[in-house]
Amino acid sequence: MSDREPKIAARITDELASCGVKLVASLPDNWLMDVIKTIEGDKRFHHVPVNREESAIGLCSGAYMGAMGSAALMGASGFMTVIYALTKINYTYEIPLFLMATLRGAVGDHHKHHISNGLYLKPVLDAISMPYQIIAQPDDIGLISRCYHHTRTFSRPMVVLFTRDLLRSGGGGN
Amino acid sequence: MNYVECFRAIARQRTDEIVITSAGNSGQAWWAATRDTVASFYLDASMSLSTMFASGLALAQPDLKVWAFMGDGAFAMNPGMLMVERQMNLPNLTHFLVSNRAYGATSNAGLPNSDHNDYAAIARAFGLEHVHDFRTIAAIEHELPKLKAANAPGHTFVVLEVEPFSDADQKLEQPPFDGPELKFRFGRHVESVTGADIFGYRL
Repeated sequence: MSDREPKIAARITDELASCGVKLVASLPDNWLMDVIKTIEGDKRFHHVPVNREESAIGLCSGAYMGAMGSAALMGASGFMTVIYALTKINYTYEIPLFLMATLRGAVGDHHKHHISNGLYLKPVLDAISMPYQIIAQPDDIGLISRCYHHTRTFSRPMVVLFTRDLLRSGGGGN
Repeated sequence: MNYVECFRAIARQRTDEIVITSAGNSGQAWWAATRDTVASFYLDASMSLSTMFASGLALAQPDLKVWAFMGDGAFAMNPGMLMVERQMNLPNLTHFLVSNRAYGATSNAGLPNSDHNDYAAIARAFGLEHVHDFRTIAAIEHELPKLKAANAPGHTFVVLEVEPFSDADQKLEQPPFDGPELKFRFGRHVESVTGADIFGYRL
């Protein structure tokens, strides 16, 4: 781990806190582990590790109906499993939802088993008309707040996609 | 016990609980029993997520009592939800598992292993401590008030063993709301009883 990674994780969590996010529901992705550990240890958040990504969608959507800010954090593969939940719950009822996921399968990801995400993640997002924002550089982290607030205006879900270069710039193996 | 009569019996015990129903017959039965248009969220558009939705709400508003219904068809799709529910252990959440041993919303199509699934045992195996199993209307009338009064210190799980919908029951009206109307009616009710600001503006 480089010195940069904890700083990136801290900046992401600070940005979430600045939006009023209290609940973070997560499933792991190796790229996200510093972010997840930082959130877990930060008393500004109620962190709930969930059993599958759809559970995060349900949990965060219910939290919205209780006026609690939330974020669902997951890998790209996990995101690909939640299309039903997003389109049913968040599109049918127009419930805002803020998601953060990894941009797996893009240039720099050396895992061949993520090729499918590289091929289909963004086309799937386009297919369901779901806006996304790629967070590739530290200076982009401020866009998290703008995207979170956009979900409240848009009354639907939006996802920010973190690149490997942002999260694993220290050369972590995964 | 009869599915709809079971829901009518539960509705008679209800005071100020907020209700979340699931995809399938539970929304129809609760709508038939209550015609509630403000304090129930008919989460028809979800399979297996009603109690996760309810958990988020219960976490956000700990002074609300939240009842969540879920059929065993939905449960079969995501039983790991109980890991999350046990971990959160929210004292203001009651999960009603409606065991009709069928995929009720799809004309009572067969549910895997339906003769052998022991939902109370599954819940206990996940570490849930407040597990109940109601098989008669009399049990609901006798036990549910005690369960409510007990104010269990953690999450409560109740199995309702019911008969599948009859052909006539299947024709019961579905809750008729458009999604956004349901969101606003329910959300405004939550705002009114909690003082919370969900939508960021008041009319």
